[in-house]
Amino acid sequence: MFTQFGATAESLSKASTMVFRIGTDAHLYDDPDDVNIAPLLDSKFDSEKCEALKRLLALIAQGFDVSNFFPQVVKNVASQSIEVKKLVYLYLLHYAEKRPNEALLSINYFQKDLGDTNPLVRAWALRTMAGIRLHVIAPLVLVAVSKCARDPSVYVRKCAANALPKVHDLRLEENTAAIEELVGFLLNDNSPGVIGAAAAAFASVCPTNLSLIGRNYRRLCETLPDVEEWGQIVLIGILLRYAIARHGLVKESIMLSSRDLENIASENGASDTYQKGNEDSNAYFGLKESNADLTNGVCKSEVVDIVSRSYLEGPDKYLSKHRCADVLSSELEGLHFTSAKDNEDIKILLLCTSPLLWSHNSAVVLAAAGVHWIMAPKEDIQKIVKPLLFLMRSSNSSKYVVLCNIQVFSKAVPSLFAPHFEDFFMSPSDSYQVKALKLEILSTIATESSISSIFQEFQDYVKDPDRKFAADTVAAIGLCAQQFPKVANTCLEGLLALASHESTYGDNAATDGEAIVLLQAIYSIKAIIGKDPSSNEKVIVHLIRSLESIRVPAARGMIIWMVGEYSDIGNVIPKVLPVVLKYLARCFTVEEVETKLQILNACGKVLLHSKEEELWAYRKVLSYMLDLARCDLNYDIRDRARFIKELLSCYIGSSDTEEGKAQQESRDVSRVLAGRIFGGQIKAPSSEQFSARFYLPGSLSHVVLHAAPGYEPLPRPCSLNFEDPSINSNIVEGAKRPGDGATQSESYTDDPDSVSGSLNEESTSDYSYADSIGGSDGTGGSNVSSSLSEVDVHKEPLIHLSEVGYPNANPDGGSHVDNQYSGSNNLGELISTRSLESWLDENPNSGHNLSEPSSIRKSSARISIGHIHGRVEPKICALLDPANGNGLSVDYAFSSELSSLSPLLVCLQVSFKNCSTEPMMNLQLVEDNKRQDSSDHASAMTESSSHGDVPSLVPMEEIANLGPSETINIMLQVRFRHHLLPLKLVLWCNGKTYPVKLRPDIGYFVRPLPMDIGVFSAKEAQLPGMFEYTRRCIFTDHIGELKKGDKPGTNDQFLVICECLAVKVLSNANFFLVSVDMPVSANLDDASGLRLRFSGELLSNSVPCLVTLVLEGTCFEPLNILVKVNCEETVFGLNLLNRIVNLLAEPARG
Amino acid sequence: MMQCIFLLSDSGEVMLEKQLTGHRVDRSICAWFWEQSIAQGDSFKFMPVIASPTHYIFQVFREGITFLACTQVEMPPLMATEFLCRVADVLSDYLGGLNEDLIKDNFVIVYELLDEMIDNGFPLTTEPNILREMIAPPNIVSKMLSVVTGTSSNVSNTLPVATASCVPWRKMDPKNTSNEVYVDLVEEMDAIISRDGTLVKCEIYGEVQVNSHLSGLPDLTLSFANASILNDVRFHPCVRLRPWESQQILSFVPPDGQFKLMSYRVKKLKNIPIYVKPQLSSDSGMCRISVLVGIKNDPRKPIDSITVEFQLPPCVLSANLTPNHGTVNILASKTCSWSIGRLPKDKAPSLSGTLVLAAGLERLPVFPTFQVGFRVMGIALSGLQMDKLDFKNLPSRPYKGFRGLTRAGEYQVRS
Repeated sequence: MFTQFGATAESLSKASTMVFRIGTDAHLYDDPDDVNIAPLLDSKFDSEKCEALKRLLALIAQGFDVSNFFPQVVKNVASQSIEVKKLVYLYLLHYAEKRPNEALLSINYFQKDLGDTNPLVRAWALRTMAGIRLHVIAPLVLVAVSKCARDPSVYVRKCAANALPKVHDLRLEENTAAIEELVGFLLNDNSPGVIGAAAAAFASVCPTNLSLIGRNYRRLCETLPDVEEWGQIVLIGILLRYAIARHGLVKESIMLSSRDLENIASENGASDTYQKGNEDSNAYFGLKESNADLTNGVCKSEVVDIVSRSYLEGPDKYLSKHRCADVLSSELEGLHFTSAKDNEDIKILLLCTSPLLWSHNSAVVLAAAGVHWIMAPKEDIQKIVKPLLFLMRSSNSSKYVVLCNIQVFSKAVPSLFAPHFEDFFMSPSDSYQVKALKLEILSTIATESSISSIFQEFQDYVKDPDRKFAADTVAAIGLCAQQFPKVANTCLEGLLALASHESTYGDNAATDGEAIVLLQAIYSIKAIIGKDPSSNEKVIVHLIRSLESIRVPAARGMIIWMVGEYSDIGNVIPKVLPVVLKYLARCFTVEEVETKLQILNACGKVLLHSKEEELWAYRKVLSYMLDLARCDLNYDIRDRARFIKELLSCYIGSSDTEEGKAQQESRDVSRVLAGRIFGGQIKAPSSEQFSARFYLPGSLSHVVLHAAPGYEPLPRPCSLNFEDPSINSNIVEGAKRPGDGATQSESYTDDPDSVSGSLNEESTSDYSYADSIGGSDGTGGSNVSSSLSEVDVHKEPLIHLSEVGYPNANPDGGSHVDNQYSGSNNLGELISTRSLESWLDENPNSGHNLSEPSSIRKSSARISIGHIHGRVEPKICALLDPANGNGLSVDYAFSSELSSLSPLLVCLQVSFKNCSTEPMMNLQLVEDNKRQDSSDHASAMTESSSHGDVPSLVPMEEIANLGPSETINIMLQVRFRHHLLPLKLVLWCNGKTYPVKLRPDIGYFVRPLPMDIGVFSAKEAQLPGMFEYTRRCIFTDHIGELKKGDKPGTNDQFLVICECLAVKVLSNANFFLVSVDMPVSANLDDASGLRLRFSGELLSNSVPCLVTLVLEGTCFEPLNILVKVNCEETVFGLNLLNRIVNLLAEPARG
Repeated sequence: MMQCIFLLSDSGEVMLEKQLTGHRVDRSICAWFWEQSIAQGDSFKFMPVIASPTHYIFQVFREGITFLACTQVEMPPLMATEFLCRVADVLSDYLGGLNEDLIKDNFVIVYELLDEMIDNGFPLTTEPNILREMIAPPNIVSKMLSVVTGTSSNVSNTLPVATASCVPWRKMDPKNTSNEVYVDLVEEMDAIISRDGTLVKCEIYGEVQVNSHLSGLPDLTLSFANASILNDVRFHPCVRLRPWESQQILSFVPPDGQFKLMSYRVKKLKNIPIYVKPQLSSDSGMCRISVLVGIKNDPRKPIDSITVEFQLPPCVLSANLTPNHGTVNILASKTCSWSIGRLPKDKAPSLSGTLVLAAGLERLPVFPTFQVGFRVMGIALSGLQMDKLDFKNLPSRPYKGFRGLTRAGEYQVRS
């Protein structure tokens, strides 16, 4: 009946699965290529595209290469359907690296999507764009990331943080500084979700740049509990590293306990044996912490010492240095320590990580426990115990990793886990590895009080079906018995019973596992006896008796070894010895090789230790066995026989004594030798822990027991120094401000209505929205920069003396760190000079140029060109040709004057000239779509200026009458929408309209910002990486000027060139000439190194903009000029750079 | 960070691969993994971290599906393990279980989920509530719809608002027609009973599971009458830690739907509900076995789903077992499973029989461990009692329900 029912149930379930599979993607997975995919991809229906993409995905899942569809798939990136988009993205990410050229086709769509109103679309576009990993588009991605890093949506900002490691992975040197800058920016975010992702980016981009953390340390600690769990894992590690690098180790912590002990021990003049050290430690703790419970304080100083050193230096380095430990300890002695009780930074770290011990994510718990293990005062470590033990219950997979960590903790401080020994009892679901770890931990944490319960458990384990585990248990029993002499006897009894029990099955071939158990049992017995042989005589005798039944060769070998070793102990053994030897001699030929060797050794030893009366009998046995051995098949045994015979010839061959004196002497020698070889005290193997490797808790390396690539030990304590704590706090305060700024901007833009409202105006939407954020952030940023520049000014003299020699080369004040790391891997230099390098990257002799700035500063002359403004002649452009305007000619030139109405307005000098013979009436310039009605116009103007985003033209007074050949100049104030797009205007004249276009000149979107060279270089240093753009061009104007010049002199040549350049730049852009540096070089014609600096600030938002021109080449040749623009506004900076390059390259007028 | 994720079926077939970073991992590593796991057997199967010649592999095994993550660089191993567990949880939640067919049938959803859950090898969105809003779980309606109309999209085109909120685990403004919250104490009892029948260890691992269907943004406070018996605790991220630290009160804004509010452990318990007494005596190649089951401390609620399982030692050739109640199955893996169900009133269930040992063996050298399963509805055996559940921020008083359930966890009896 049951079977019938079962059958129906089965068919029922089959039917139901059939039903359930309908409508799923099952058929797509099973036969992905049963239709032609290509036409589906070109279909105009989203559903068909979807199906095709799903089929492709199925093929990818099954491991087929379908990259040949790439071009067709890429096209679909433009699809409006969000599902198609998602599927295309999945495909793109899988194959983009393989098909870089086609992948480039998708970039435009990503950039379009980046401006989408839907944050999900923006985020996906960014993720995919960064994920396709093409070197060519890295700069674009970086711009996109920096834009998204200021996005109002938390999710998009989070994705921006995640994109940074992707860009970093491309290993483009010139981007590194910019990426790090962005990491720092995102760490400053006020949303915990973003901070988590930023921390992950930090860990993979610049884990050593701890100065980035320093700015936000407190804030990061405080937000730690709110950060999403995955971010917490990473952030905890970063904060720990920072705290150590900044403040050093905590003197109450476990990490330093052993070092104190060492001092005490040396003061007492105590010997450095392990046992003694341990006793001392007990005494020490007893004295110092008599109020604290004693069990808590007991830690194995030796292990703790190794652990703490491996954490700090990495075990590989430590082990190589192990022999010269003294040097090392003195090295460590010089470190600074801090106290968890006084140091606020450490206190806050411990305070904020302790609730994380309750997290439901086991990785978070382990990471938090790691911090407490390293940093918390010893008496507080207790609190990590229960959470760690609880982790073991969370999942089988994490159990093993957690136990690996507990193992080290328990080795160092057994007392920590001693009361919880029950938690390490085996459960049937444990894997072998887990069981082995539990056993090891149990044998480390066993105490006098718990040992009996633990043994009770061990007895059960011995009967476990897994014999390998049973053997391990036996080994653990042996270890415990050695630790606790009191229980040694019970152990021995148990082990003996086990041995005799096992030996009954020993010769069964099927029970291979039994052999291991037996072997381990004998081994443990041997080890226990080794501690105190004389009182265990009975055990030895017992074992000898069981020789007959034990058939495992290695086990027999061990017993026979004991026969030899303890042949002269007690009363019983010497009595049974002759019988045993005879027995061994009888069965010698059937023994295994290893047993034979042991028999020979044992006989030798017996002979050595034997008393006169038995000597003869033993000698006979031995020579019999040697004879057998000499004919053995195995050459090892023949060798051994020969060796023993030679060594013991004095005993064996003593029958024929009539020999020379010389031989007597050699006999004495061999006697001594034999005594040494066989009777020498065996040194107990030194504690295994010396070779143990320790890695940071919670790390992968710790589980696999070798340093995984990318493993970093803790930073050197106190390697991160701030000169003055007040500066530090200053920075923290400064850093808080932009956060507030961001809140404001977000509260403004986060409101979906306001965003969509501004986005309704399609073309400008992106801009206004980016502007509003950029603007508010810009102010926030300048706050930081000002506070930072203060710091830098403080520091300047110090850095000036250092080898880098270029003031403020590192804006973060982190040059100390960099120098520190340069010692280890030479990377530091690269980091600190990266911003320099990035704009000299195409320079063939960059090595020379790296040190150039400082040499220029020393050997350059600063020239002032005072009269230059007289020569500045703005370029005049035609607005209206007389041919088109019925004889009216209108020209305009950008003026360097500043508008008094609004900083957004650009001033123009417009000159109206009547070239005709008739007077002209009512001339006026108005906006394209505005009526002439001036009252309307005025109101529109005020309105627009209050809104601040509508481009406008300040109404111009009407020119009532313009006589023939009369010229009227008028100052016009205009606001351009865009740096490049012309402004369409309408010129009214005599009632007619002429459409005209006013072309903007980006050079006049700035106003001069007077500053001196110090401020200039400080600002320049704050705008590295992505805020820095360089191009080269050829400049030829000066050649004509030089040829014109009547009296060529050395300095004048340079002067002429400088004037040429300065005039040209100032005629086309509204800058302030900061300085002209001229090299005082030996070569008179060599203009290389000539350097002009201009400064200005953007009209719209007062963002500073710096221009530097560096010349190369000789005076009378065309000069190669490197133009560098530093500006926070990326787009503007790039456009400005192009403008300057173009104007320098175009030949002089007239 | 993780470089690649593979999903393997129980026959070692690679069902899915998802490359996460630019450093691609060839799927040949799965072949290597599978060869090793066949060669080395179970001990390899349960290794969570494996150092292969080219990569470090993290492994999570769930219901026949092997989840692998590969990396080449240092990263917290628990992060990978925990993430894979999360993926397994989410998938089995979405697909209503985990098996080869379910994953293959819904591979697009699996891909979409993986893409949302991890970005560049670092977990991105793992909160099930938000994932549900981004990618709709497959359900019968959408399936039918897709059959009928041929179109379906399970990808939401708006970003869940919760990603930006300070309670990322909760949908922004869920509208629930029902206004109710259920709190369940689900406990698992772990016990070890040694050979001589003494209780070595007994503890309870429990979870407070909440099923909440409340509108708005409610603020709940749950307190226990005897919180002091709790040994260790772990919380869902929604629990505020300060109130717990100071007063042992759970204060939280709940996610919508079913979730695990807290897990706890109560140690050193003295009473176990049922006893299992195995007796084995072997002589001349035969082993007599008898197992008795009965009530030890009556929990005053019915105990059901009682099972006893044990592994026959490898040296046993054949077994002949007969119960006086329930049924016995011997599986191919030499696992004996005796399902009893409820204890009969009239008699104590017993199992008796003989085992034939391998040739040459006189006596049974090893002894199996008996795994006991049971379930007690309506009571939390740890004795943990909920005191009260308070609400703030709710328009009307919701319906509250409390329930307890205890089942056997690792309840083992040695013989």
